[in-house]
Amino acid sequence: MKLLLRFACIALLLIGISMAQEPGHKVPSVELAPVGKVQVKPGGSAAVPLDFRVGSEFHINSNHPHSELLIPTVLKLNSGAPIAIVGVKYPAGEDVAFAFSQGEKLSVYSGDFSIVATVKAAPTATGGTYPVEGELHFQACDRSACYPPKSIPVKFSVMVAGK
Amino acid sequence: MLASGKYLDRARKHRAAGILVGDPVGVRAPDFELTSLDGKRVKLSDFRGKAVLLNFWATWCSPCKVEMPWFVDLQKKYGSDGFVVLGIAMDDSEPSKIAEFASEMGVNYPVLLGTDKVSDDYGNVQFLPTTFYIDRDGRIVGKGTGLLARSEVEASVQKALASKSAELNRQTTLSSMPAHPQPQTSAQ
Repeated sequence: MKLLLRFACIALLLIGISMAQEPGHKVPSVELAPVGKVQVKPGGSAAVPLDFRVGSEFHINSNHPHSELLIPTVLKLNSGAPIAIVGVKYPAGEDVAFAFSQGEKLSVYSGDFSIVATVKAAPTATGGTYPVEGELHFQACDRSACYPPKSIPVKFSVMVAGK
Repeated sequence: MLASGKYLDRARKHRAAGILVGDPVGVRAPDFELTSLDGKRVKLSDFRGKAVLLNFWATWCSPCKVEMPWFVDLQKKYGSDGFVVLGIAMDDSEPSKIAEFASEMGVNYPVLLGTDKVSDDYGNVQFLPTTFYIDRDGRIVGKGTGLLARSEVEASVQKALASKSAELNRQTTLSSMPAHPQPQTSAQ
């Protein structure tokens, strides 16, 4: 009886493991960590690091994937006057060969990565807090399957110091 | 309890509408009409009597690229047995780009332009590749998600081919029946 129970437990464990490894058991996620205080003087600029985390077991293409067929990770930001987005700097991707890539290395982000946006306040800017909004567009895969492209919102505020 | 009741109610409604819910094996494959890369309207039911490998893929899906040469080989190997591969491209890109990619991959089977509806009808295809194996009667005999081993893919193709269609069975039965029933003699 005990032996039967042990066999049943092992069988259930094996079923559990096989189900856990099947694609789709986890939804790919990319999250933005809270953005720190961004302060600029009128006419000045500031670099804003945006820290993202890719969910474990997943990777997303870098901003420069090695194939034009692959969907790059792109950050789009919009700001109203007096704030302008004057630059977006992406990190280099990590070149990784996956079981499915047949020796070909893909340029990807996984785990934590940061994109640095540079904001600039107009010289005529008056003191106050101004919102910057946008989205990060990416396409995720795990070790055996790929998921449809997705976007997550990106928001932060820029504080312009009064003259 | 209430939640599961709601789920079951939704599942019943989906089944009634021909949408796949849960394990699709044994269920009739939802019919569809999609546009092929060469502009033709293609229905799944056009292939009734054939075993079908229905592959959801996209040009941006690297694991999908691994399977495509296998499908080309399987189409060559089993095509004369009544087997057909149908690719459903879930790209947002231009059909000309998909066609160029398919041509580079040496694809020898129809590629159809996917829609949200066909994805929903097949149980909301969430990741690629996803492949359904459909027998000659239009019933799903297998589903593969993610990149599997070629041997697993071929085994599923053989399973889909193994089933004889009801129509074929009827014809076989009729042709094996004697034209004039023989009088039966009972053993004494």
